[in-house]
Amino acid sequence: MDAGASLADLLTAAAAGDRAALRAVYQAQSVRLFGIANAILRDRDLSSDAMQDAFIRIAQRAHQFDASRGTPEAWLGAIVRHAALDIIRARGREIATDDPNLGDEPVAPEAEDRLAATAEGRRLRECLQGLEARNRDGIVLAFVHGLSHPQIAERLGTPLGTVKSWIRRGLLALKECLA
Amino acid sequence: MIPTDPADRDALAAEYVLGTLDAAAAREVTQAMDADADLRGLVAAWEARLAPLSALAAPEAPPPGLWDRIEAALDGTRPVAAAPARRSAFWRNWALGASAVAAGLAAFLLLRPVPEPRLMTVLLTQGDQPAWLVEAEGGALRLASLNPQPVPDDRVMQLWALPQGATAPTSLGLIPAQQGSLTVTPSTIRPEPGMLMEITLEPPGGSPTGRPTGPILFIGRLAPARGT
Repeated sequence: MDAGASLADLLTAAAAGDRAALRAVYQAQSVRLFGIANAILRDRDLSSDAMQDAFIRIAQRAHQFDASRGTPEAWLGAIVRHAALDIIRARGREIATDDPNLGDEPVAPEAEDRLAATAEGRRLRECLQGLEARNRDGIVLAFVHGLSHPQIAERLGTPLGTVKSWIRRGLLALKECLA
Repeated sequence: MIPTDPADRDALAAEYVLGTLDAAAAREVTQAMDADADLRGLVAAWEARLAPLSALAAPEAPPPGLWDRIEAALDGTRPVAAAPARRSAFWRNWALGASAVAAGLAAFLLLRPVPEPRLMTVLLTQGDQPAWLVEAEGGALRLASLNPQPVPDDRVMQLWALPQGATAPTSLGLIPAQQGSLTVTPSTIRPEPGMLMEITLEPPGGSPTGRPTGPILFIGRLAPARGT
């Protein structure tokens, strides 16, 4: 594959068993994808395991990528997220969430720049900002950092049942806002 | 058990994508998707909706040898499973990595709405003496007298706003005599940077024409406050 091949083209080639194409996907996306895994696992060894699991799935399922349903970046990101979530679930989500330092670090402004870099990101951000803060926080903690309902409840100091219904309501509101 | 009610199915797909399902429920969804095209579609739609959030995860370079390891796993030349000693390393890294964790989790704070810069101005007399402090908060304007001046008995003070680009000022009402501070919430305009604020001297009951008729006592232009 030439260097200018699009990610979608690379996936098509990888689906046909082209190892060089799969490697090109890795080279183009591994820094972003490793970051997605590490935001959930916060452990470089485990994140490497997640990447390995994910790329085996990517090799097996590249033919399932459907450009009409989303971007290749989103498809790859979802596979890596689910690989990382599988690992964290297998470990019973042992990650402590009561660390007093959590959330006290200065906010990295570049994270917001990354979200605002795409039209979809800006739109999602606007819709998230329309939610109540606790709904928004719950959704982001779950999606980006892989926190479970009980962990979110603990982080936000809220009863578990309440968190579950907030998140469900928040997702519904997001769907309506994005429609 | 995969529900049949469409709303429940969509909620299940959403939580699957969000990652909040437990291991058994997540596995059930994964397996059901093989045969359930509708569920597959619901999940794909949620992946597309939420995918931009992945941008909040800080990019990080993987270890240099990772591709070789992946390739070996793809070729089946090495076991796919992780090394058994990982568990203790997991916890050790946890203890050591608290600040990294904090930095990562701080990403969610980003999504709080950015507070609008506070708009304010000081209305000056014709002699450039400060007379009123005006602060906008949300859609409201708070006025505080800095240097109360008597108004003739047969006259009242009327507050006006002229948004940039507008051709005529809008009355925001009368300023009660003797009152040192007040808050007005304009219904037809919203405080914005560059909006001109002025107080004129008008006959009792206010300007009969809907436009300023008397002299301008105090004037100023709203601007974002520095340092906020």
